[in-house]
Amino acid sequence: MSPAMSGRSKKVSVPDNLYTVILAVALCAVVGTAVYVAFQCLTQYDTIFKIQ
Amino acid sequence: MSTLTKVLIVLLTIASIFLCGIVVTYVASAENFKEKYDTASRQLRTARQNEDTATDQFNELKKRTDEEKLKLSGDIGALQQQVTALKANLTKIEIERDTALRKEGNWASITKELTATNDNQRQLLENALDGQKNLNAELIKERKQLDDATAALLEKSAIIAQLEGKLKGMIEDNALLQNTLDKYLRQYGKAFAQPSPVTKVREAVQIAPPVTDIDLKGSLTAVDLKNHLAELSIGAADGVKEGMRFHTTRESKFVCDVVILEVEPDKSVGWLELLQEQPQNQPRAGDVVSTNL
Repeated sequence: MSPAMSGRSKKVSVPDNLYTVILAVALCAVVGTAVYVAFQCLTQYDTIFKIQ
Repeated sequence: MSTLTKVLIVLLTIASIFLCGIVVTYVASAENFKEKYDTASRQLRTARQNEDTATDQFNELKKRTDEEKLKLSGDIGALQQQVTALKANLTKIEIERDTALRKEGNWASITKELTATNDNQRQLLENALDGQKNLNAELIKERKQLDDATAALLEKSAIIAQLEGKLKGMIEDNALLQNTLDKYLRQYGKAFAQPSPVTKVREAVQIAPPVTDIDLKGSLTAVDLKNHLAELSIGAADGVKEGMRFHTTRESKFVCDVVILEVEPDKSVGWLELLQEQPQNQPRAGDVVSTNL
């Protein structure tokens, strides 16, 4: 361990952008899932919301 | 940013990803119910159409089956009648067969008897042929003897004919002499008497033969009233003999009697007796003469 690092007791923290990226990933996953479900509904039932 | 927010962000992200994975997995593995419905619907429609077709076919088949049933019922009735008729024919044929068998047995026995009879007849025929041969030999012998006897008979017949000729000449001479004598004697009212032997032969008592009517009938063909002679239409061929007396009648009236003096084969001549004085009762040709009145 270097003296510089051991000399300074600085708290390690995750930058906020990482959480933003995580939220973006989660949003992409949700949107992708919604699009996929809509696509499947459209291709299989020819509609997205209406039940024939 | 607080720690709680960060934790929530992380948890929310994990939950979102997990939920999205589940949804995607479910959606990806979910079956296409619409396609199944369409398929099922098509199958149902096809099945209904098949059902209708099958029903129509069933009805048509049923109708055809009923018609066939009726037709077969008629055929069965006709066949049963034929079977009944064939049974009757069979019974009749069996009776005829039995009758034929009985006849065959009878004919067999008859044939057997006929064969035995034929053998006997053959034996008899052979015996008869042998006898005929013997008879033929005897017949040839007898024919030779007959030829000899016939030749002798012809010689004797010739001799008899000569003797008969001589006898006939003598009888004719005798008759001429007797007629001449009768004529002479009749003029003097006498008749010729048969000579009788001086020594009479005593005969034993005999039963008199039965007396019957001669019953000869004829007619006068010629009359000679001067000499009291008449000619009759019957002679020796009819049984007329000398001395017979015929009664002459005309329409059931008595005319006279005729005593036969001379007989020829087809006519005879007689002496008229018992003549009547009335001229209408004198005999003439055509008057009936008979031995019995």
